[in-house]
Amino acid sequence: MKVQLGAEGVDVNALMQEVQNEVQRRRAAGDYQDARIGRAERHNVSQISDGEHAHDVMLRCLDDCSQIDINDYPIEDRNTGIKGKLLVTLKTVIWKLLKFYTYRLWHQQNQYNSMAITAMESQRDFYEKRIQDLENRVNKLEGSQGES
Amino acid sequence: MKLAFAAPRFSPEGVVGGAETLIRNLALISAEAGHEVELLSTCATDHFTWANSRKAGSERFEGITVRYFPVDEGRDAETYLRIQSRIDRWIVPSKADQELWANNGVRSSELIRWLEQEADSFDAILAGPYLFGITLDISKVAPEKTWLIPCLHDEPFSRLDIIAEAFQRVCGCIYNAAPEQELAEALYDLKDHRGEVVGMELPAFEADPNAFATRHHLNEPYVLYCGRREGGKNTPLLLEYMALYTERRPNAPRLVFCGSGEYQTPRGLEGRILDAGFVSESEKREAMAGAALFIHPSVNESFGIVLMEAWLAGTPALVHAGSEVLRWQCQSSGGGLWFKDYPEFECAMDLLLNRTDLQQQLGQAGGAHVRNTYNREAIQTRLLETLSDA
Repeated sequence: MKVQLGAEGVDVNALMQEVQNEVQRRRAAGDYQDARIGRAERHNVSQISDGEHAHDVMLRCLDDCSQIDINDYPIEDRNTGIKGKLLVTLKTVIWKLLKFYTYRLWHQQNQYNSMAITAMESQRDFYEKRIQDLENRVNKLEGSQGES
Repeated sequence: MKLAFAAPRFSPEGVVGGAETLIRNLALISAEAGHEVELLSTCATDHFTWANSRKAGSERFEGITVRYFPVDEGRDAETYLRIQSRIDRWIVPSKADQELWANNGVRSSELIRWLEQEADSFDAILAGPYLFGITLDISKVAPEKTWLIPCLHDEPFSRLDIIAEAFQRVCGCIYNAAPEQELAEALYDLKDHRGEVVGMELPAFEADPNAFATRHHLNEPYVLYCGRREGGKNTPLLLEYMALYTERRPNAPRLVFCGSGEYQTPRGLEGRILDAGFVSESEKREAMAGAALFIHPSVNESFGIVLMEAWLAGTPALVHAGSEVLRWQCQSSGGGLWFKDYPEFECAMDLLLNRTDLQQQLGQAGGAHVRNTYNREAIQTRLLETLSDA
């Protein structure tokens, strides 16, 4: 009496295909260009023992969080009342002074990040192709040895 | 048949680890089928200190004889941890160091001496889980009649030569799931080796789906995780994903935890976790029955007892795809989906949380699968047919 595979009624593989299609659609729409995803994935990469998959996840996370958001954002403070208003004003003034200097730095950092990721991806593609070529050659050699 | 089961710990109260619970369960159902069963264990109850907190000796428990033997004193914990830290980094140490590591692990010379004298009187000896010194020692006493109940994961310990030798030495293995068997056969070259997927009995139960929420004044949907909260169970990942999901989805469900262990609440999840702590079996079942989803983020599972229990409570599951076993259980049962990264987690959550019909279908499919596959009769048949065919 063996453990049987395949439940009746629910095709979870089809549902997973639906999930993966939706991931692709959202990714294409830029839904996952979010630095927070990269941060959340740091625990994931250390748990995945499948090296190839972990490498892909890591590269995608780096890609997703490579661009530092240099746009303005609403400045808030957890304090309320006059103290809160004063702190928000202070933070706004500091931000206005700082961004004059930091925009240039962030811009350079973004350029570096993009180039670093492009370099890593092209290196991965290059080695993947080389490994594929070598595997094909090994298979061919093994095949010809079998024939002789 | 006269059978000896061996586990590092045994507690009549049942509060031990998953692998030990499995061995106890297999011993009890073998005795119920009319076989003479002895369970060999140690006097330890704490899996951190392994102190001999129980008196050595024997007692009768639900039709089986339980024998407690003292754990060897004088372990060189420093040496053990020094070698283990290398193994943890997937470095395979020299054979001498592997043996040193095993020798300074949990062992019981008295148990081995007793077994050496009594081995002839048993038809089969079943020992597990695989990574304990005590299991490795037992595998050497009478390998021709010894079966491993390995509870094997794809983890650094599995790559050690001394582990491979133990698998190759014994007459066969009792596995929990097909991916576990495939992993063992791939790692240890077990061609012509006997092996069978048996699993563990999970009795069906009824639970009130509203009781947990009422007791804890929860008036919104929740997702649930039950078990230890620790890195090995991947709970930090679940917390990070839930924090992010809550930030990106204003109507995200609450996260409920049942179990023990410290954790850090990430930013964005403050006030969104209900930590019920260590709860009774009945409260755990009620928590499961009321959950919208049961999430199992661990990638180190050889069976997934809580996953099956969630299905018995009629709740669908979302598991980490990195666990071959949990994904296999979901595919086998049709009771759950899986994720390999955050985007898949988010889309699967969106799909399942917005479709109550789907939640119901998956929960029912999972429950039916567990009732059909892991009922007492099915487990008894698979285990005892395997042993008697040997």
